[in-house]
Amino acid sequence: MELLTDSFLSAILLIFSLDPEVLSIVCVSLKVSGISTLFASLMGLPLGFLIAYASFKGKRILIICLNTMLSLPTVVIGLFVYSFISRRSILGSLDLLYTQKAIVIGQIILVLPIVATLTIAAISRIDERYRKTAMTLGANRRQTACVIFREARFGIVAAVIAAFGRVIAEVGISMMLGGNARGFTRTMTTAMALEYDKGEFILAVALGIILLVLSFSINLIFHFFQGRTGT
Amino acid sequence: MLYVLSKISRKYGSRTVLDIPLMEIEKGKIYALLGPNGAGKTTLLNILGFLEAPTAGDVFYHSTRVSFFESYLQNLRREVVMIDQHPILFTGTVYKNVEFGLKIRGISQKKRGIIIEETLDLVGMSNFIQAQAHRLSGGETQRVALARALAVSPEVLLCDEPSSNLDVENQAAIINTLKQINEQRKITIMFTTHYIYQISSLAHHTFFLDQGKLTTAQAERFKLRQ
Repeated sequence: MELLTDSFLSAILLIFSLDPEVLSIVCVSLKVSGISTLFASLMGLPLGFLIAYASFKGKRILIICLNTMLSLPTVVIGLFVYSFISRRSILGSLDLLYTQKAIVIGQIILVLPIVATLTIAAISRIDERYRKTAMTLGANRRQTACVIFREARFGIVAAVIAAFGRVIAEVGISMMLGGNARGFTRTMTTAMALEYDKGEFILAVALGIILLVLSFSINLIFHFFQGRTGT
Repeated sequence: MLYVLSKISRKYGSRTVLDIPLMEIEKGKIYALLGPNGAGKTTLLNILGFLEAPTAGDVFYHSTRVSFFESYLQNLRREVVMIDQHPILFTGTVYKNVEFGLKIRGISQKKRGIIIEETLDLVGMSNFIQAQAHRLSGGETQRVALARALAVSPEVLLCDEPSSNLDVENQAAIINTLKQINEQRKITIMFTTHYIYQISSLAHHTFFLDQGKLTTAQAERFKLRQ
């Protein structure tokens, strides 16, 4: 108990002292997670929308496949991407291994199914009358799709937030594909794992607190936005 | 004739919900569509509103056969607007809702503003122009939905039970507006209803639909009762 309180107090002091190492780790984490969430959203939102909106053969199977991918362990994704980008493999010449780009690729694979499935759920919940109303008022397919997207925006924002929360908290992909290089690919979670191994809890606890505060802040902004628009 | 429906049928699986050998609708008239629940009234309105294709048969609109292809239907839908039994308003203000159809038709902002004010005034909702749509009551929602439809100056207005679940005051407001727009703008109106008095006070013609078929005997009986 004493260890926890001592670590906690020292961690708080470390955060408020704006320690350069802490700041560097947080910046790398935010950058990598932000980019992977952005790319996953750019692909996952239209994909989820199309699956929810269109009727086609094999739709159910596709949704089952996406749902299955939700439970993919990060180490499996790490291993899979590694087999493509390691020095001797197909994309080895691109020199991606142990770079932030490698982490981004792995994280996109991790959260693309999350964004897609949550978008499917958000779009499917939208009342059919919105589509019918937009159409009868003369909207074309694109305009009708925009109406549905707009009505589902909170579910869609929630999908993006969930994706960001998943990537910023993952450790397997960052460790396997990033290599935990100080100042380059060391993220909050890989740094925490390393500090734990070393038996140095102060930095690990400080990063843990920052992770929790980040997650809380994003959710707070989302709920504030939801409240302001009155729904 | 504005519409001619020839040998129209609509099936859902093996169940036939609509089977009409011939139906003619004249321009500028008000038609009432009567029938019990599940008679096929909404399906018929969906077909007339080009929102649903019949399984078989032909629909002629302005003497031209309608091809139920998405690219072709979009232009027709800009002339025919349907108001749902329980209309839904888009998230945002009443202004934004009425503006929707005008905006997608490329009408200028200045002109949009004038039309929106006029139509909201017509349905007695001008005081609610900046109100959030989701805060409106059932009657107010119905009136805004009517304004949203009228703003785009349709040639045909299809109303699925326009005054169901409304209080007497809102019912009267809706009925008066429908009468007024038919007289002034010569908009063809077809509405479904369960209220006999609405038919006698509003409709020029009445169709009776039972189990997907137009029933003349019922209609005759209804006329005699009137």
